[in-house]
Amino acid sequence: MLAEQIINGIVLGSMYALVAIGYTLVFGVLDKLNFAHGETFMLGGFVAVAASALGAPLWVAFPCALLICGALGLVVELLSFRKFRSADAQVTAALSSLALGLIFIDLVQKYYGSEPVPLELPLAVRTATLSVAGIEIAQIKLAILAIAVLLMAGLHVLVNHTRVGRNIRAVAESPLAASLLGIHVRLVTQQTFVIASALAGIAGVMLAMRTGYAASDIGFTFGIKALAIMAIGGMGDLRGAMLGGILVGVVEALAVQFGFGKLGEIVVWILMILVLLVRPGGLFSTSSERRA
Amino acid sequence: MPEPILEIDALEVSYGPIRALRGCSLAVAAGETVVVVGANGAGKTTLLRAISNVLPHAAGEVRFAGQPTRGQRADQLARAGLLQVPEGRGIIARLSVAENLQLAWAMRPGNSTFAQACLPVFERFPRLQERLNQRAGSMSGGEQQMLALARAIICPPRVLLVDEPSLGLSPVMVSEVFSVLRAFRAAGVTILLVEQNVRQALGIADRAYVLRQGSIVAEGSGSSMLADPAMLRYYLGST
Repeated sequence: MLAEQIINGIVLGSMYALVAIGYTLVFGVLDKLNFAHGETFMLGGFVAVAASALGAPLWVAFPCALLICGALGLVVELLSFRKFRSADAQVTAALSSLALGLIFIDLVQKYYGSEPVPLELPLAVRTATLSVAGIEIAQIKLAILAIAVLLMAGLHVLVNHTRVGRNIRAVAESPLAASLLGIHVRLVTQQTFVIASALAGIAGVMLAMRTGYAASDIGFTFGIKALAIMAIGGMGDLRGAMLGGILVGVVEALAVQFGFGKLGEIVVWILMILVLLVRPGGLFSTSSERRA
Repeated sequence: MPEPILEIDALEVSYGPIRALRGCSLAVAAGETVVVVGANGAGKTTLLRAISNVLPHAAGEVRFAGQPTRGQRADQLARAGLLQVPEGRGIIARLSVAENLQLAWAMRPGNSTFAQACLPVFERFPRLQERLNQRAGSMSGGEQQMLALARAIICPPRVLLVDEPSLGLSPVMVSEVFSVLRAFRAAGVTILLVEQNVRQALGIADRAYVLRQGSIVAEGSGSSMLADPAMLRYYLGST
C-alpha cells in the first residue's frame, strides 16, 4: 500500500515535472514567467478528448498535443512576449500571458462547458495491470511514467548535447553575448516556447488519461502547483524542476496515505515559501550556481 | 586611404533623453588597426554596441563593406564578419570552454570540422586545450579574455571590434592581451579597438581617435598621439 502510493506519487510528480520544466525553460531564457503555460497544459487534455471523440486511437493524442500545443507556444511568444523584451517588462508580459491563458479557458468552456469532460478509455487500458515485485500497478500509470522519463531524458540530451540546446543555454545566460556570437536570439526564444509548450501539452494528455477526464480549471490547480515546483527547484534550473516535481508528487501521495488528505497540498506552498526565503536559488542549487 | 571597410557616419545614439553619441564619425580601412580612446563614459562601449546593431541608431549611418547595416540583426552582422568581443569578454560563463569555442565555430562559413578549426586556437592558447571541459566562468579573468579573443581565430572576421579587453586584468595579462592583438594585426586582421589603457592601445594603433562626450574630438596616427601627452591629458584627464 505504501509502495503503491509512492509509485502514484512518482507518476503524478513526473507530470508536475513536465509542466514545471516549461515554466523554467522560458524563465531561463527570458527571465519572465509565462502565465499562459498552465492553460497550454490544460489544452493538452482537451486535445486528447477531441482526438478520442473523432475516433482516433489513444496514442494519437500525443503527437496531436505535441503539434497543437507547440504551435500555441509560438502564439503565446508572439502576442505576450515578443514586444516586451526589456528587463523591466516582466509585469507587462506576465499580465498579457495571464490574459491570453484566460482566453484559452473561455474558449474551451464555450465548447465543452465548465464541468470536467470524460475521456473515454478502452476498458482494457483502464484495467490492465502489471505485477512488479509483488505490487499490482496499472499499466496506464507505467506508460505515463515511461513516456515522461523518455521525454525528460530526451530534453536533457537536447539541452546539453545539441546545437539548439547550446544556443538556448547561451541565450539564457546573456542574450547580448549570444547575439554577438551569431545566435538568432528571437529564433532561440521561439524554439524554447515550442519545446516548453509541447511538453506541457503532452503532460495534459497524460493527466487526462490518468484521471479519465479533461478539466478546464486545472491550469489554476495543477498548473500553478507546477509553477511553485519551478520555484522550489530553482527558477531556470532544469534538473531542479525535474527533481522538484517528483519530490512534490511523492510528498502529496504520502500525505494522502497518512490521512492528511488535502492538507498535503499545503506542503507544496509552505515548501515554496521556505525555499524562496532560505534558498532562493532553489532546493538543489549549489552556492556557486545560485541566481541573484 | 583605400576604400574603408567600416564607416561610421554622423552616428547618434540616445538612452532615453540622454544622448550618448552625438554625431560620431570615423572610418576603418581593411588591414588597419584603429583605436578609439576616451575617458570613462565617453561613449566607447555605446559606439561598439551601436556598430553591431545591439543599440538602435537615433541618426546617422554605419556602412560595412560599403553596405548600410540598417535593418540587420547583431547575429547577422556577426556571421557576416563584423565580429565583436564585447566589454566583460562576452563569453558564456556557464558553458564549457569547448562549447564556447563551438559557438564561434558554428558561425564560421565553410565546412571545417570543429577539431580542425580549434588547431590554431590551441597553438596560440594551449591553456584553453587543457581546460576544454571546464566551465568557462571558472577560469581566471585572463584565460576568459583569451577564450573571448579565440573567436577571432576560429571564425576569421572581416573587422574585429574589441571593447576594453584589458579591463580588470593584471598588468601581466594586459601585456598578454596586447601581444595577442599585435599578432592579429600582424596577420592582417582589421581591428577597431576601444580602450581606456591609452598608452598600450596607441602603441598598436595605425590611427587613433579621441572620443569625448559622444563626439570625436581628435584624430591622428597612434605614434603622433603618443608623442603629444599634453593633448591626451587635456581630452582624457590624467592618463
